[in-house]
Amino acid sequence: MKEIVLKTNGLTKKYKKFTALENADMTVYRGEIYGLIGRNGAGKTTLMKVVTGLTEKTSGEFEIFGKTGSAAERERKRIGCLIENPAFFGNLTAYRNLRYYCMQKGITDLSQIDEVLKMLNLTDARDRKFKQFSLGMKQRLGIAFSLLDNPDLIILDEPINGLDPIAISELRETFQKLNTEHGVTIMISSHILSELYAVADRFLFIDKGHVLKEMTKEEIDFECMRCIVVKTSDTKAAATVLEEKLSIKDYKVIDSSEIRVYERSAAADIINRELIRADVSVSGISEAGISLEDYFKQLVGEESK
Amino acid sequence: MINMMKAESYRLVRSKGFGFFWIVMLISYAITIITKEAGGVTFGGPMPATESAKLDIRMVCMNFTYYFTLIAPVFSIITAEFSEHTVKNTISSAVSKKEYYLSKYVFTMLCTLVMFLLANLMYYGANAIVNGSEHASQFGEYFKAVMMQMPLVTAIVSAFIFLAFFFRKGAAFNSVSIMYPFIYSAAALIYYSACRKDDNKLAVRMLNYEISTMFSKLALGGSSGYVRNCIILCAVVTVVSFVLGYLSFTKREID
Repeated sequence: MKEIVLKTNGLTKKYKKFTALENADMTVYRGEIYGLIGRNGAGKTTLMKVVTGLTEKTSGEFEIFGKTGSAAERERKRIGCLIENPAFFGNLTAYRNLRYYCMQKGITDLSQIDEVLKMLNLTDARDRKFKQFSLGMKQRLGIAFSLLDNPDLIILDEPINGLDPIAISELRETFQKLNTEHGVTIMISSHILSELYAVADRFLFIDKGHVLKEMTKEEIDFECMRCIVVKTSDTKAAATVLEEKLSIKDYKVIDSSEIRVYERSAAADIINRELIRADVSVSGISEAGISLEDYFKQLVGEESK
Repeated sequence: MINMMKAESYRLVRSKGFGFFWIVMLISYAITIITKEAGGVTFGGPMPATESAKLDIRMVCMNFTYYFTLIAPVFSIITAEFSEHTVKNTISSAVSKKEYYLSKYVFTMLCTLVMFLLANLMYYGANAIVNGSEHASQFGEYFKAVMMQMPLVTAIVSAFIFLAFFFRKGAAFNSVSIMYPFIYSAAALIYYSACRKDDNKLAVRMLNYEISTMFSKLALGGSSGYVRNCIILCAVVTVVSFVLGYLSFTKREID
């Protein structure tokens, strides 16, 4: 059975009359990269803030490494965080900023600082003051900070904001390396779906403070799966041909004039040829599918374009 | 808590506030030692006669200067964390809000009290070396005068800590803490002027417990009743500001 590192149950956060998060349930298992997907203001940061102790929950429960209440607070030492914008002392260098936090956490092995700086390609900026950093460098230093003391769980809020495409790609590799080689569990939020999709194993869709769906990458793939759309006036005959002549089992009759074939090995031209051979009229055949963006729009109730 | 305090020491000695404190103190001390005249800011009630006291004791009476210089380390230790938003780094992974507040409170208090004491002792030593015994008191007498002010300094720093946690923004903290003695004195003096001579007890009391007046009177050894009242007042301010600072920090969200 997979070990749960973070679990919320009915987590709610209200700011006076405004509900930023309502009854949020989610589970993060050890070893996975968990993606939080939502628009700006969806409640992603609020959820992370509650879990990391930056704000108090209004109601509900959460457990960290199986602990709740004040015991969960102590377990926060096993978490590395980057919530919202990276924040450091402008008058201190990258090294000194990280050293300050090493001292706070009681980390005596200061070689870790150079290791995390190297991992995030910040070795050259080691002795440069934070206030002289570019946005991308600040972001990378924030991630370097979250990696100090080899945490078991890293929580990163919009970590790719402000990064150029190459930096995003490097960061993606870093996350995957941390996850596969060091076994670090990562919880990461973004509103850039394609980037999150490229790195995460499981996803939580959230909008207007409500959890819409929690699903694995495979489930998303299935929902957004590419398919062959067959337009015909005789779906029954067409289905018979698909099963008996082409041995296709993975298909769905959408309505009286449309069949969708999901089987990966199926090819549109072969299906078309067999249907014509069997005298089944085909008014159209095409490949279709739904993008992650469109799927997300459907989930949040907007019309897919 | 020890780790937090070690980290704060590491950062404080690299901050501008720390340097500002020592530069201002060294310059003002150097001027007074060279000119052999006590100098500083005072306002409020009538100052006790200090002509008979030697230079170092007269300078202790002027320790109200610390009210302004101690703003700098409090600003560096606490307010900078909010203006740079670095507080979230600590709370989210190192310590709880409660531990954070206690660490900051204890460290700021210890640090400022040590700086206050050290600066005064340095002044005593420098004055004794440069100006000799003609202008230097017995060490015991000097030390007692400084120690009498410690409850007042403690209360001031505690109030600063509360203001720093309450306002969080450097500008608001600085404005309120710098303006407070001026506003208090102005209000007390206006009230005093407006009162009839036989009906000005409250105004006189307000002036007597004005901060710069308390610094002077405590150093020169006021009446036992006055000292007792000052200590009670300082203890109340210390405890109340500690509690208010704690509530203000722990009940609010961290940006």
